[in-house]
Parts: sequence; C-alpha cells; structure tokens
Amino acid sequence: MIALPVRARRVVPLVSRIVAAILGGYALAALASVAALALPIARPQAVLTGMLASFALYAGAVIWVFAVRSATRAWVGLLMAAAVLMPAAWVAWHAGGSA
Amino acid sequence: MSHLAIFLPSLLGFSALALAMERHQESVFDRALPASLTRVLRNLGWAALLAALAVAVETQGWGLGLVSYSGHTSASAGLVFGLLIAWQRRRSAR
Amino acid sequence: MSEKRAESAAPKPRGIRQTMSDLHIWAGLLLGWMLYAMFLTGTVSYFKNEISQWARPELAHQASVPDPADVAQRVAGELGRLAAGSSQWSIGLPSARENTAEAFWRLASAQPGQRRFGQATFDPATGHKVTARDTTGGEFFYRFHFQFHYMPVLWGRWLAGLAAMFMLVAIVSGVITHKKIFTDFFTFRWAKGQRSWLDAHNALSVFGLPFHLMITYTGLVTLMALYMPYGERLAFKTPQERQQLTRELNAFIQPGKPSGRAAELAPVADMVRQAQALWGRDNIARVTITLPGDAASRVAVARGEEGRASMSPQYLLFEGSSGRLLETHDSVGPAAETRGVMYALHLGRFGDTVTRWLYFLVSLAGTAMVGTGLVMWTVKRRRKLPDPARPHLGFRLVERLNIATIAGLSIAMATFLWSNRLLPGTLAQRGEWEIHAFFIAWALALAHAVLRPPRRAWIELLWVGAAMLALLPVLNMLTTDRPLWRSIAEGDWVFAGMDLVLWALAALHVKLALRTARHKAPVPRGAQSPRTKAPAPAGERTVPSVPRTTFDATHGATPSQDALR
Repeated sequence: MIALPVRARRVVPLVSRIVAAILGGYALAALASVAALALPIARPQAVLTGMLASFALYAGAVIWVFAVRSATRAWVGLLMAAAVLMPAAWVAWHAGGSA
Repeated sequence: MSHLAIFLPSLLGFSALALAMERHQESVFDRALPASLTRVLRNLGWAALLAALAVAVETQGWGLGLVSYSGHTSASAGLVFGLLIAWQRRRSAR
Repeated sequence: MSEKRAESAAPKPRGIRQTMSDLHIWAGLLLGWMLYAMFLTGTVSYFKNEISQWARPELAHQASVPDPADVAQRVAGELGRLAAGSSQWSIGLPSARENTAEAFWRLASAQPGQRRFGQATFDPATGHKVTARDTTGGEFFYRFHFQFHYMPVLWGRWLAGLAAMFMLVAIVSGVITHKKIFTDFFTFRWAKGQRSWLDAHNALSVFGLPFHLMITYTGLVTLMALYMPYGERLAFKTPQERQQLTRELNAFIQPGKPSGRAAELAPVADMVRQAQALWGRDNIARVTITLPGDAASRVAVARGEEGRASMSPQYLLFEGSSGRLLETHDSVGPAAETRGVMYALHLGRFGDTVTRWLYFLVSLAGTAMVGTGLVMWTVKRRRKLPDPARPHLGFRLVERLNIATIAGLSIAMATFLWSNRLLPGTLAQRGEWEIHAFFIAWALALAHAVLRPPRRAWIELLWVGAAMLALLPVLNMLTTDRPLWRSIAEGDWVFAGMDLVLWALAALHVKLALRTARHKAPVPRGAQSPRTKAPAPAGERTVPSVPRTTFDATHGATPSQDALR
C-alpha cells in the first residue's frame, strides 16, 4: 500500500487541474460574457456577443489547463486571463441597468 | 438538380486528391504514378472542389450554398473513403 | 491516465500530443454514452415531423399544403372558443412536412412570472382538434436529445450542456492530437487490429469534422441563455428592458396592457396574406396573437423557415382589432443574426430534402464516431489487461455500458415505435406509456448486457434490434390501413420512406450482428495459457458507416465466461 502522502502528490495536481478546467473555465467564460457588455455596441448585441463567444473561451481554458506543464501554471493562466477581463466586467457591473 | 451539380464535382475532387497520394496509387494502380501526373491530379482535385463551391453559391446563395457545400463535401469525402477501403479489402482477399 | 502516472517514478514532461490524447480519451469516455444517445436521437430528429406523422396514422396523408391563411383563420376561430380568456395565443401552421396545425395559449395563472400554457393539435381542414392517438411521436426523440426525461427540464438541459462541453473539448483535443489530420485523411489501414478501429474513428471524425464542430458549438448556442445568463441579467433589469433582447431572438410577442375596451379580432387570414405576398404562400411559420378581443390586441405573423439559414425573427406586426400593419420586423443586429444563423445550422430546418438527408447521414456518421470511440477504448485496453479473464472494474463497466448504450438504444427506439402501434387507444396517459416502454426496453437491454457474456450480448442485442426494426413495417401493415404498397401508390413518401428507412436500418443491424458473430481472433499478446485457446470465436462489432473492416481484436469469450452461458 503506497503511503498516503505519495499518492496525494500524484492525485492533488490532477484534481486541481480538473477543478481549474471545469469550474475555473466556466467562471472565466462567465466573466467574459459579462465583460462583453463593455463593448461599444448596442446592449442587446453586446449581451449576445458575450454569450456566443463564451463557449470558445471555456473550451480554450480547458485545453490550456491540461496542456501546460503544471497545475500551478494552469491556475496562474486562468487568473491572468481573469485579470485582463476584470476591468471591463467591473465597468459593466456598475453601469448595469442603463440602456 | 443543382445538388447533383455540387455533389459530382466534390466526388471527382476528392477522388483525384486521393489518387494523388502515393499510398493509394500503389493500392489502385500497383505503382506510384509519375510526379507530373500526380501534380495534375492534385490540381484537378482542388479545382473540382472549388467548382463545386462555385455552383453551390451560384445556385443557392452564400448562406444556403455554404451549408449545401459542406454537406456535399462531407458526404463525398466519406464515400471516396469507403470506396478506397472496399477496394483495398477486395485486393487483399485475392 | 492516473495509472500511467503511477507507473513512472519521476514524471517526464509529456508532449502536448500525449496530454491531449489523454484529455481526448477522458473527455470522450466519461460522458460518451450520454453523447451517443444525444447524437442518435438528434440524428433521427431531423425527421421528427415525419416520425410524428407516422405516429398518427389516423391523419390522412397531406397531398398538398392547405393555404396557411385559411388554416390560421380556422384555428383562431377555434381558439376563440377554447381559449377565450387567454392573453396570448400562438398558432403553428402546417407545411410540406407537417400535416397538422398546433397551438398553445397562455392560461390565466395566479402566479406572476410563472407561465403555464394549454396546448392542442388541430386538423388544418376544419380547425377542430384532431382525433388521433395520444402520442408524442418524433417530438419525444427531439426533446430527449436536449433535455432527456424523468427529470426537471432544466436539469436535463444542463446535463446536455455539460455533455456538449465535453464533446467540444474532445473535438479540439482530438484535432490537436491527430497532428497529421489532413495528410492522414485518406489513409485507412484496415487490417491491423486496434489500428483499424483508430482509423475508423479517425475517418468518421475527420470527414465529418466541419459538421461535428458546428453541431456541438451551435448546440451550446441554442441554450446559451441558460448556460451563460450573467450578461443578460446584468444588462436588463426590467421586463421592458428584456424585450429589447427578446425582439432580437424570436417573434413570440408578449401581451401589453389590456385597454379594457372590447374589439373583435380582425380576420387573421388577411394579415397572413400580406405576409404570404412577401415570403411565399407556404412560408409562414407561426401566428401569435395577444389580447384577442381587446382593443390593444396585436398579431405577429412570422416568416417560415425556408429559403434562409437563419432563425432570427422576421415578422409582420398588425393591430389585432383592425388588421392594420404596424411594423415590419425583418432585420436584427449583427450578434443576433449570428446567433440566428447558428441556431438554424443546428436545427437544419431550412434545408430542402437533399440537405436534410445530408444532415441525417453526416449526423449518423457522428453517432458512429462516438460509438467507435467507445468501443475502441475496450479494444485497446483489452490487449493491455494483465489477466483477460478478469478485467478490472473500469474495463467491465465500459464494456457493458457500450453494449447497453449502443445496441440497447436501437432496441429502445424501436420499442417506442412498436408501442405506438400496439398500445390501446383507451390507455390513460398513452403518450407517456410509449415513453415508459422506451426506457423499460433500454433497462432490459442493460440487464441483458450485464448478465450475458459480452460478445454474446452484442450479437443477441444487435439481432433483437434488427428484428424489431425489420418487423415495424409489417406491424404497421397489420395495425393500420397504410401499408407500404398503398403509400407508394399514393405517393405518400412519409410513410413509404419510414418503412424503407426502417428496413435499411434493420439491414445495418443485421450486418453488424453477422460481422460480430463471424469474427475470429488470434490469441491475445501475453496470454499463453491453454484457456485462451478455447474454440469459441471472438469478435467485436464493427463501425456502422465503414463497410468492411477486419481486425484482430480479442473479445470476451473465455471458458470461465462460457461457463456462465
């Protein structure tokens, strides 16, 4: 029976990546769909653009998470992408409600 | 009728492209064809695929035409593929 | 994947193709059975209208499409009796593929924001409700495809969306893994065991790649408002604001505030005729009427699906009480049009018959792509089993689920159609019982797949499926007055087509059963014990869309399993 810490060393990065891919990817896509509201186009078009593009971003994030060399890098990448989108999403959040 | 005019050039195009591959030349003709003939086949193949696209857009417009084209190229590629397999199998059985 | 990592003491950096291959296998395997079911039910849904017609043989074959204007008028009149107090009616008109009219209407409800609708199907000639057997017909397969059954609709759609994301990842990782995707395109090494399964799977994936990628992404788009509602919620707070968005998406106009003044609804037929002048006599899809009988009534006549590859709404808006044209709504913004095109591409309703058949065939190839992927996994893993007579649980699970899903689903779908012909008309909830029969049959197939030796199970279930499909036209002949020869004589290509396609599918199953039964396999690598020299031939089912393959896969029939027979 392999010692628990050794197994953990193998399983934890994998679980981390899976969480990053499934949940982190979704969060990033959702963030992007909100950030799209900052686009200089009519509100309904911006909403739809955000939705349409979100799945490509989600799939891309999942590929990224498993393509990079470590789970840490995977998370860093997602967080950096989120940081890029955050200002636009922030603007949209506070401007929300006006046509 | 216009469907046939899209499908047949696609079929021709994929057949030519397949036969421009050495692996299939060996299988079908028992030898590799001369390089010049291979080039002709490849050009013919691409030209036929472009012709099919032209017919599709001309007869059905861009929207419906592109969809039609996609369907016909998928189906004809699949058909050429299936025929190659059938051919290979018959030859192996001998 | 974790097993592989367990074997290497110091993990070497794995190439991108290897990690993408692992990702592809896991993404494909975890929800592969769900995806197979979605793909197959989606494939037949391209002919759901025809299946629904077949499911109601009491309704005569429609030789020519009745004038939608007249039908709309009749049904509106009937709704005036059936749904008099309702604030919103929506009428779907017959077409070349649809021999009935249908309508749903908003029911007066005490709960604000919670919609409840009444629904009925109408005879286009009379406007009265049809008398035909209670059945969901082709709609069952269509709805199962994106929301399954026996669960709240939203759960089903979320599950379908999850599966679609897995599919999307599987496609992208598959393309990255298959580096030589285009040069390898036409190469199929058909005689080399596991290799030929890989090549079959590759072939089906590659020549259908434009379709598979499109269908998966557009599938997500059809329900994107559910999966990614955040932007919409943030941008539109009130129902009025939300209408800015919905008018870009559909022609389902909402009732405004009633004026309280009674005003009879103007003739709907005249309004439809104006739309027909624009779009063609038979190219009218729906007529939606709000506040009928009130002065504030509105009527929207929506364009049909022919002639353009987009579902973005195009409709004429009329004042209900006078029939005056208020607005011509015939364009939407660029993002909305993009979404409209993507939605249309997924549903494929715009296509003519040839285009519809192409959709069907390439989608069937996609189904086979998923199926071959699932089977290939067992073929590959079997060679690596340390003890082929006692595979580990994961392998056994995949092997049995493959049989139950792939062979079992055909049986379940055939059972649905059988029960449509056999269940008595007086049975309460008859339509629901057809669906129960579907799931009961599927469960029985699962039990069979678990209890029988795997190879036997494949062969037996494939034969059962073949028999059930082949006998359906016979059953149809015995239980209705629409046998094949009459359908052909009358030019009823819906019924004739069903019979012929059922026979073609039966033949496909026969072929698969024969191939599986006929195939012999050499002794597997690494297993030299005399047990594996048992005389029982081994086989594995082949790919549906690829005609001839041979392979040297081994399959389950070892003596210890034979003892179970």
